[in-house]
Amino acid sequence: MSDVVSAPAVSGGVSRSFLRDARGLQRKLVEEYYGAFASVDQPRRPVAYMLVGGNLTEILRSFGYDVVFPEIVALNCAIKHQSLENILHAESLGYGLDVCGYVKNDLGLQDLGGKTSFGQIPRPDLLVCSFSGCYVYVKWWEALAESYGAPLFMFDVPYMREETPRQEDIAYLVSQLWELVHLLEKRTGRAFDMNELKRVLAESRRAEDGWVEFLRAGRLRPSPIEAYFESIFYMFPINVLRGTPGAADFYDVVNEEVRARVRDGNYPLPEEKFRVLVEGVPPYTNYRTFWDFFRKWGAVSVVATYPKVGGLFDRGFRHDPSRPFESIAEYSLGAYVNQSWPLRRKIIADYVKEYQADAVIIHGIKSCRSFTAGQGDLRDWLIHDQGVPTLYIESDHQDPRYFAPAQIKNRMDAFFESLEQRRAVAAAAGAAPG
Amino acid sequence: MTAVVAGVDIGSTTAKCVVLGEDSRILGKSLSVVGVDIVKDAERALEAALADAHLSRPEVSFITGTGYGRYKVYFGQLVVTEISCHARGANFLFPGTRLVVDIGGQDTKAIRIDDKGEVVDFAMNDKCAAGTGRFLDVCANALGYDVGEIGPLSLQARRAVKVTSTCTVFAESEVTSYVSRGKDPKDILAGLHASIANRTLSLMQRVGVEPEVTFTGGVSQNEGMVHALHRRLGVPVNVSPLSQYLGALGAALHGRERLSGGAA
Repeated sequence: MSDVVSAPAVSGGVSRSFLRDARGLQRKLVEEYYGAFASVDQPRRPVAYMLVGGNLTEILRSFGYDVVFPEIVALNCAIKHQSLENILHAESLGYGLDVCGYVKNDLGLQDLGGKTSFGQIPRPDLLVCSFSGCYVYVKWWEALAESYGAPLFMFDVPYMREETPRQEDIAYLVSQLWELVHLLEKRTGRAFDMNELKRVLAESRRAEDGWVEFLRAGRLRPSPIEAYFESIFYMFPINVLRGTPGAADFYDVVNEEVRARVRDGNYPLPEEKFRVLVEGVPPYTNYRTFWDFFRKWGAVSVVATYPKVGGLFDRGFRHDPSRPFESIAEYSLGAYVNQSWPLRRKIIADYVKEYQADAVIIHGIKSCRSFTAGQGDLRDWLIHDQGVPTLYIESDHQDPRYFAPAQIKNRMDAFFESLEQRRAVAAAAGAAPG
Repeated sequence: MTAVVAGVDIGSTTAKCVVLGEDSRILGKSLSVVGVDIVKDAERALEAALADAHLSRPEVSFITGTGYGRYKVYFGQLVVTEISCHARGANFLFPGTRLVVDIGGQDTKAIRIDDKGEVVDFAMNDKCAAGTGRFLDVCANALGYDVGEIGPLSLQARRAVKVTSTCTVFAESEVTSYVSRGKDPKDILAGLHASIANRTLSLMQRVGVEPEVTFTGGVSQNEGMVHALHRRLGVPVNVSPLSQYLGALGAALHGRERLSGGAA
């Protein structure tokens, strides 16, 4: 039995032996990615800023662009406790308290010169607003375009109200993708190379297969993965490096490690008491504290919705080199954040069954009404219509001022306490004669 | 072994302790104001309840801590959240309870429970003390009353004013403004109580209003608040002189369950 299995469940922080090779490789990939922007040895490649939801990475990559995701830069700042300084600076520029933390972190950081502890964030040569479902995001990209004098490409993605994308929506998106291709040809002076796009898409597909294999390990009992807290680390390659061989290779390492965990009995916790589904953006500023609130109760997240914001690959979608533009359009339409609430509910209800989750924890964030609005109704629906114990808690993903540890802990303690109690009562009733 | 158990509830404003005998009879209880040294406050609360019960410390078999200061009840053997404890305490005193409304110093909670006193769902006020005991303290102070006086006075109102604010600090300004406009303090107080009842109703609706409703926590001793809640809900509200102790009582009951081999 490994050290991890015999370690007390309530010990603080993340067990280092639980997160082994894959975590080390992920760190290396992050360092290399940001480090390359500061390199003086290589000629600078053009940089495009893009949003994670429904991103068009493959097309940009086929033109030799480096893609930067300000949301991911912002979450890296938050997890390293560097977001507040940027947010306060943005507020001093006039951005209000209620403006999204991602936006304020990024605009504050940009205005302060773009220097972070993990690297220098490069200036954009092009802004691609790949998710139009959030009006604040649209304004964010407009502000960046004005600030840098960089061209802005607005990708208009219709909201998904049905599980299968409509042909007219796909056609609408494909026509916009061709507009983007023409813009990129003009800006780079390079002709579009369909074979190069297909090659990139094939790499994406390979990474998507590996990522899905990792996520589905949460179906095992006990789960060898932490589908929320651990997946957050592994979202970097699927979102930022997708389309490169490095991303696909990364998941080979991850999945080998997961297989080793099962073989060695090395699980996220010594005892998996509760299997939970987590919905919502994490409180990055207090990520370890929040994780400890789960660990204390023997709760392992076996499935989560947030790691799917970069694509619902586990629901069957893959980028397809044989249908390059159509599959990119389907990908953008199918982004988790682009799904209507009835569709999101269905996904969550399916996950509860597939992953045998005992309960759902919803973490709402003050910053984002577009992601969070509706989570109160989701909570009521899960409890009353689905009979799934559900807890709703709220803080923020970027702004540490909104994370109240005592209040959150109290709610989580009470929730798990009641689950434990109900389980004990049910066991006693089952054991009673007659 | 004498199965005397105790529950110590360290809230944001007061410490409560209940000592329970073998037959689940309350042998002693205490209520004291919480200061800065929570560890000592917890010890004092236990000592006072033991003195009330004419018992000594070794005679207590099991102690459970609850409330925000529960982790400071170092001498206890079990820690349970006040949400589970109020649920259990309300079920003990009023077995027909399906919804517990706990209004304490800085928290308001609506807790839906089943027939065994187990928590089914709960909702709490978030990051704001509006609608809590502290809210009443501040407003009583602004009107020059002791918080203990305002409940009965609110019942003498002729025409309650509308207190629109949902913020403790702004409510104080609103009260001052009404005073300067010559409004009767009783009407202002009735408005304040109605404002809290409205706010509490919103929490209760989040978990589902189902009779019987049992009112717990320090504010349950305020008859003006009981009246305002009853009026807003349209159903009777269970309340008892012991309502303020239900967290501590529930803690003691959880302790008894653990002692007898059940899951607390």
